[in-house]
Amino acid sequence: MKAFVYRPVQSTQEATTAGSQSAFIAGGTNLVDLMKIDVMTPSELVDINQLPLKGVTLNTEELRIGALERMAQVAERPEVVQEFPVISQALLKSASAQLRNMASIGGNLMQRTRCGYFRDVETPCNKRNPGSGCPAFEGENRMHAILGVSDACCATHPSDLAVALVALDATITLQGPNGTRSAKLDDFYLLPGNTPDREHDIQPGELITEVKVPRQPWYRRSVYLKIRDRESYEFALCSAAVALQLDGQIVRDARVAAGGVGTKPWRLPDVAEALIGKQVSKSAFETAAEQAAAGAKPLKQNAFKVTLLKRTIARALIQAGGIA
Amino acid sequence: MNPTTPFSGQTVDRVDGKLKVTGRALYAADHPVENLCHGYLIQSSIPRGTIAAMDVTEAQASPGVLAIFTPFNPLKLYTPLGQGEGAISGDFIPLLQNPEVHYFGQTIGLVVAESFEQARDAAALVKVNYQAQPAVIDVDAGLGQAYPPKSVNDLSATVSVFADGVSSIDAALGEAEVSVSGTYSNPIEHHNPMEPHATTAVWSENRLTIYDATQWVQGQQRNLAAVLDVDEADVRVICPFVGGAFGCKGSMWMHSPLTAAAARVLNRPVKTVLTRGQMFTAVGHRPIVRQTVTLGANRDGTLTAVKHEAVSSTSRVKLFVESAAHRTSLALYKAPNILVSHRVVPLDIAPGTFMRAPGVAPGMFALESAMDELAVKLGIDPVELRLRNYATVDPNKKLPWSSKHLDECYRVGAERFGWSDRHAEPATARDGDWLVGTGMATALYPAHRSKAEAKIRLQADGTASISSATHDLGTGMYTVLAIVASQSLGIPVDRIRPVLGDSALPLSPVAGGSQSTASVGPAVLSAAESAKKKLIAAAIAGQRSPLSGMKGDQVSFENGELRAGSKSIPFEQVLAALGRASIDGSGTASAGEEEHQYAFLSFGAQFCEVRVNEWTGEARVSRFTSVMDIGTVVSSKTARSQVIGGIVFGIGMGLLEATQMDPRSGWIANRNIAEYLVPTNADVPKIEVELLNFPDTVFNPLGARGIGEIGIAGVPSAIANAIFNATGKRVRDLPIRPESLLTEPGHPNLA
Repeated sequence: MKAFVYRPVQSTQEATTAGSQSAFIAGGTNLVDLMKIDVMTPSELVDINQLPLKGVTLNTEELRIGALERMAQVAERPEVVQEFPVISQALLKSASAQLRNMASIGGNLMQRTRCGYFRDVETPCNKRNPGSGCPAFEGENRMHAILGVSDACCATHPSDLAVALVALDATITLQGPNGTRSAKLDDFYLLPGNTPDREHDIQPGELITEVKVPRQPWYRRSVYLKIRDRESYEFALCSAAVALQLDGQIVRDARVAAGGVGTKPWRLPDVAEALIGKQVSKSAFETAAEQAAAGAKPLKQNAFKVTLLKRTIARALIQAGGIA
Repeated sequence: MNPTTPFSGQTVDRVDGKLKVTGRALYAADHPVENLCHGYLIQSSIPRGTIAAMDVTEAQASPGVLAIFTPFNPLKLYTPLGQGEGAISGDFIPLLQNPEVHYFGQTIGLVVAESFEQARDAAALVKVNYQAQPAVIDVDAGLGQAYPPKSVNDLSATVSVFADGVSSIDAALGEAEVSVSGTYSNPIEHHNPMEPHATTAVWSENRLTIYDATQWVQGQQRNLAAVLDVDEADVRVICPFVGGAFGCKGSMWMHSPLTAAAARVLNRPVKTVLTRGQMFTAVGHRPIVRQTVTLGANRDGTLTAVKHEAVSSTSRVKLFVESAAHRTSLALYKAPNILVSHRVVPLDIAPGTFMRAPGVAPGMFALESAMDELAVKLGIDPVELRLRNYATVDPNKKLPWSSKHLDECYRVGAERFGWSDRHAEPATARDGDWLVGTGMATALYPAHRSKAEAKIRLQADGTASISSATHDLGTGMYTVLAIVASQSLGIPVDRIRPVLGDSALPLSPVAGGSQSTASVGPAVLSAAESAKKKLIAAAIAGQRSPLSGMKGDQVSFENGELRAGSKSIPFEQVLAALGRASIDGSGTASAGEEEHQYAFLSFGAQFCEVRVNEWTGEARVSRFTSVMDIGTVVSSKTARSQVIGGIVFGIGMGLLEATQMDPRSGWIANRNIAEYLVPTNADVPKIEVELLNFPDTVFNPLGARGIGEIGIAGVPSAIANAIFNATGKRVRDLPIRPESLLTEPGHPNLA
């Protein structure tokens, strides 16, 4: 671990003076892990835990979650459980109870990929060391992405929460040295392209302060389904976040996104579009889910994810549609 | 207690339980030592080649660094002991003695610094310049070099049993009315005990005291003495508690002598704790095994021929044979014609080693899956098929079993599980979108026993200490031996003080091979008899003794008291009267002639229910019933826990565990316990365990056979068989993950 300066800050203003070699620390569950294995080597840790970035509020327009809320707390909030079950479920299926108690919402959205090559400084990695190459394409890639894959990178985005949030068109508030701005979370995550080291649309000193989720009464009919080898404490092989607006047995609107398969949390607007106007039925859901893997680039060990993705989406829709 | 009568077990809480749950049990890295400094291993990042140079300049200059040992600045180490020399060595040679690299993750250096963090950070600054050479990592690429090892479980690589007039196994198979054949595989698996390997070496003059995570203090003592060139008597290995081992602490691995040698050179105590990642190449693994099993049978299910061929991976530089067929197909079924064979594929990978039920766990996966395939083909119930081929003598040695109640295991297990209610037709039971299936398999494990000694000390405070250099790996040995001593002395368990895990204690074999209870338990019985005799002799001889001058046959020891006529005096009062602090008894126990007259195995039957999601293909075990025939159950609580633990291990082997190795470099993708998957609580259903408790007094006076490993045996096949029953899909490759089951018929998308 590289030596670093530890700087607790008392105001958000103070935090935004952080430079490009600084890292914000809240729960530290991912950052400290990566620092111990030299994958992240910030020269300064800016401790933001004293900042007033807490609170979960719900009004008629939106749900607002402070970036320093802990995952476990948000997951159990009655307004989240009732109005946004997909968010609560995504949180509860993340990591372990211990990690959820520590990890912040903002930190969760900033967590790094679990690609083993990324996490080992002895191996090449275009994300960690641009231009050094990517051994995953011909190596161990069972857990890797099939969507959003570029020639440079096929690492999967690990967050469950982010999948639920992009499905519901969440935005984040960023405060930086030049003021405050808002960004759609989906736009905030960048595709790897030729610059897999650039994962977020973020500038030095910018800090996620809040997450806003538009409120729709029908988000009560939402589901997060996570498929993994074991029942708990594992990143997704594939996950689905879905919400359905039903009018009787007709789908009026839908939100669909997938995790564990994309280089970023993967919205599936075409699947959602295909559902609109359809009668609730297993076959309608399966047909719509067929489009989920459009453009997929499977690798040697993860080709099964193409089928798994379609099945996961269909199963989640069936569950949300109440016809399981 | 008379050691020739069967022993009755007890249900008591773990005697060391409170120490452990309150954090007071000292594991290998916990022993407080003054003036300590810390070692950290440097491991190779290429699979094969030569280290041209190591630049340690920057590392040497970094804070707190005391020394950096490399092949260019080596610690002198001698060759470890070989097989049959009273120790086991896991590594291929003393490391650091030359610049050759034979596998990814080979130890190529040791950094010693004032703190662990300083040593770790300095290790990251060491620059290694390799001259790489081509390596063979992939089993397929290495198959051309496969060869039969000289011996497999002390037998030839190929062993055959033929009925009169049968010329070959293929001839026998050719005559069979029905046959099935399949190839089964398991990947590399790692033990991943919760406690990492750790060594703290303290020299005083020329004597070494070493706190080490090991399953065999005395083996480690002999090996360290050999490698460090010191007298065996000058090495003391201490390891009172082991936080799980599963075989990876049975051998000496080179971090132990490296740490001791560094401490000697630096004249300071050194502690080296391996990281989880380092443990994936420094302390062994279960090799890859591929097996082809072909069964020939009559239409009534009677086996006529069993052909079981296995190939396992081995490190090119250190042979380890993960047998599979030898320990299973030669022992389980009454078939007139059997052929087992084994070859090893040398690869440029780290050495393998014993892992829970070595040979048996992979072998039973193949054999018991094949039996299920035969049952399906013949339309015979899987339990019935096994009963039709029940062996009453060892099929290879033709010796009678010392004690075998496997038929009872099948019967009780089937009843407890509700086997008769199953849907024999695959893919016909469901619960919503979960396909439900049931499966079963046999379990077996060899009953081992080695020479062991024990000491019992009757103490003036009314307690008795018992000691032997064996271990409690979390297995329950403290409790087992406390119960044995308690019953043989007739005093409560809470007055017994077991002392284990110190090489200075009486002789004990490696705490491996499920042999500790059967080896050390009888030695404790014998020690108790000796202590009683000595106490009686002293009581008669002592001038101030209340039994002074009585004759030996007038005095007996019962329930912790000396009795003579109407007198009955607690032993502590006798000691007090004699002015003695204590009286010692020693005992030795080992196998006798029966070794050559009987075959010894433990048996069991595993039944499980599995659910497979028809959409997404994940399999979850939803019910498990296990019935074990392991002789006397000395400690019912810890014995049950052992079986439950084995079954959990088997669920991991069946559904989760796989070390993912890059076939180009041997680099391991999941060398952490976030991504090397073992079952979580959520993966483990209610497990029902029934222990039959038929004492095997032919095997030893305690009547106990081991129970540490048999729990895993048969579990992966019971799961695979249940998955077949649920889905109609036969999966022969472990672990069984969603990709193996996604294309299942039964799914609405599929015809």
